[in-house]
Amino acid sequence: MLKYLKRPLLTLRQSATRALSNSTKTTATTTATGGRLIEVNKALNGWEAKLKDAGVQDTDFNLKCIVSHVLKRKFNTVPDDFSQLKFNSAQLADFERFLEARCARMPLQHIIGEWDFMDITLKTAPTVFIPRPETEEFVRLVIDNYKRAEHVNMLEVGCGSGAMSLSMLHALPQVQATAIERSKAATALAWENAKLLGLQQRFEVHNHTMETDKYMPESLHDKRYDLIISNPPYVKTDEFQYLHPEVVVYENLNALDGGSDGLRVARLVFDLACVHLRPGGKLWLELGNEHPPLVKTIMHLQYEGRLKFVQSYQDQYKRERFVQLEKV
Amino acid sequence: MLLRKLLNVRYSCLVRRWASTDSLSLQNEKLQAYLESLRQEYYALRVNAAGNSSLYERLSRLDPVVNSLEKHRALQRNITPKQELAAEKDEDMRALMQEENNVYADLLRKQEEDMLQELLTLADNVDYPALIFEVKAGAGGQEAMLFAQELYDMYTSYFEHMGWEYEEFAYETTDIGGLRHANLLVSDPEAYNWLRYEAGVHRVQRVPTTEKSGRMHTSTASITVIPRPADVHVHLTDRDLKIETKRASGAGGQHVNTTDSAVRIVHLPTGLAVECQSERSQLKNRELALKRLQAKLMQQQLESAEASKQATRKSQQGNLNRNEKIRTYNFMQDRVTDHRVQQGGTLHNLSGFLAGGQQLSVLIERLQLEQRKSKLVELLETWQAPQEAFEKKLN
Repeated sequence: MLKYLKRPLLTLRQSATRALSNSTKTTATTTATGGRLIEVNKALNGWEAKLKDAGVQDTDFNLKCIVSHVLKRKFNTVPDDFSQLKFNSAQLADFERFLEARCARMPLQHIIGEWDFMDITLKTAPTVFIPRPETEEFVRLVIDNYKRAEHVNMLEVGCGSGAMSLSMLHALPQVQATAIERSKAATALAWENAKLLGLQQRFEVHNHTMETDKYMPESLHDKRYDLIISNPPYVKTDEFQYLHPEVVVYENLNALDGGSDGLRVARLVFDLACVHLRPGGKLWLELGNEHPPLVKTIMHLQYEGRLKFVQSYQDQYKRERFVQLEKV
Repeated sequence: MLLRKLLNVRYSCLVRRWASTDSLSLQNEKLQAYLESLRQEYYALRVNAAGNSSLYERLSRLDPVVNSLEKHRALQRNITPKQELAAEKDEDMRALMQEENNVYADLLRKQEEDMLQELLTLADNVDYPALIFEVKAGAGGQEAMLFAQELYDMYTSYFEHMGWEYEEFAYETTDIGGLRHANLLVSDPEAYNWLRYEAGVHRVQRVPTTEKSGRMHTSTASITVIPRPADVHVHLTDRDLKIETKRASGAGGQHVNTTDSAVRIVHLPTGLAVECQSERSQLKNRELALKRLQAKLMQQQLESAEASKQATRKSQQGNLNRNEKIRTYNFMQDRVTDHRVQQGGTLHNLSGFLAGGQQLSVLIERLQLEQRKSKLVELLETWQAPQEAFEKKLN
């Protein structure tokens, strides 16, 4: 079923990837010949409508992101009306190629190869989950709670690009972070981001797939932490048909699939926390819409005497989605 | 006839200057009387100030002056009078007394300097916990904006040099790296007494980078310093805020991948709204929007708190004409000239000056001293000893 739904989208994806890979050739030839400048406002001609037709929302913002990326300028230094900005022909070719990809619903963050998360800028990679705006709110909450703590030994389960751990490290010098991640590409990307941000002294990341009774890599099997954070996959399997093309076609579904109730991976994290959290240590999770009450029930029924439900929190859209648990 | 008139003007000017240096000497009777009145006020306050905070404030301001006056008097008492010195028969003893007197005279001179310094500080009669520092490009188009940016850089590094906390709350740039205007909040009780002398029109003379034919241009930028009274506070509570983003409904989190970054905040009590999409991160935009809202609310409060604000700004900025300047930065001659300093107002090494460190600090210190002196002289001229005033009233 899902496969049929995805087929047209997959062709889209192929065309997008082709559009992107064509680039190297065109760039090379145009830089050799190109000296003509074209105003950005002229180059924009018609693209906004094309993006809208393709179902892309927030087109102004998309265009501005791509323009500043093509011009290699910081986003906040580009004027909203693009006045006096010009492309040379190589840049124009890049610009059109990127927009072609965007029309094929390739995520904006993949096209420009980086994204801002709180105060840091992270590199993105095609198969690695892109952090969401809600996760910023989640991390802000956690940072608020640990601002005055003296030393925090933290573990992140499934770190992806490293967004959560690295922004915690960036904001709080007293944090020491360890992360585990099942995808090799993400593990490498998180490490690269840590190095780019100069945070590698306080960060380590292990490529490891969490399984029952083998929650942590061998080298860390007796470690205890003050804090565990995680944004585990929480999309229910039958919700996959409703996802945006950016998500279902371009993102790593392993980072999204939370099984039939969306808590398959979360349950593994609960079990991990029972073993690897010191008594009084906290587990913070970002989950889906209906999950916090469910987690509360699960704690009462199955984790009595091991984990305790402390509180749940709303994200910035007033959806109750974050939970705090405590090791008893 | 005309010549005489001109001479007269010059002459009176000279005379005034003589008088002014004189009036700040401790031999001046009026200054003596003024100091004595301060001393009496101080002791009267010490008895009466109980519980009144503004009186306490005055008391603490007077304290260093009176303290140093008392020290001065104690030293004076130590000096052996001339008659006694003459009366002394013993040669050795007299030499000893003479020597002692010399030492005291030295100390006395130092003490006098200290006292004058304290007195001058007293002339700055207000303290502001913070101020709003505004840089604005004036006449001269793009070039003026480039210059405004240079001034902005100079002052922010000066704030850092002085260790003052500052926060920027409005900032408008141009594409080629210029600055239209910027507002900074400088939070330091000391800052106002230093920066007030920087307010006015600054003029630059150079061949702009935007100039193709190599002609020299004259452009301006202005600095405004608006003291922020202590009672202006803006406190935002979550209850009063409505925070909106573009995505109002629909799924969130891992289900979608929208780059939902624009934020709009409405301050419910005032209805004031701010929007922000200048960053890619939503959280950053929210922080920026909150800051802007805070600045807007503060500006509103300031406008009501200080009716004279507009007048202050106007008088400091002049009409942004090229000739009402306080200082000129001439790149061709590598010099800075402050037009308010009579002698030696020209400094060289422009780039060092623009770095906003020691050089700028020294110049401001000089301006501060001159300003305080003239203020004190003015004060003494209009001041009347309480006794005289009393008599005048009787008549």
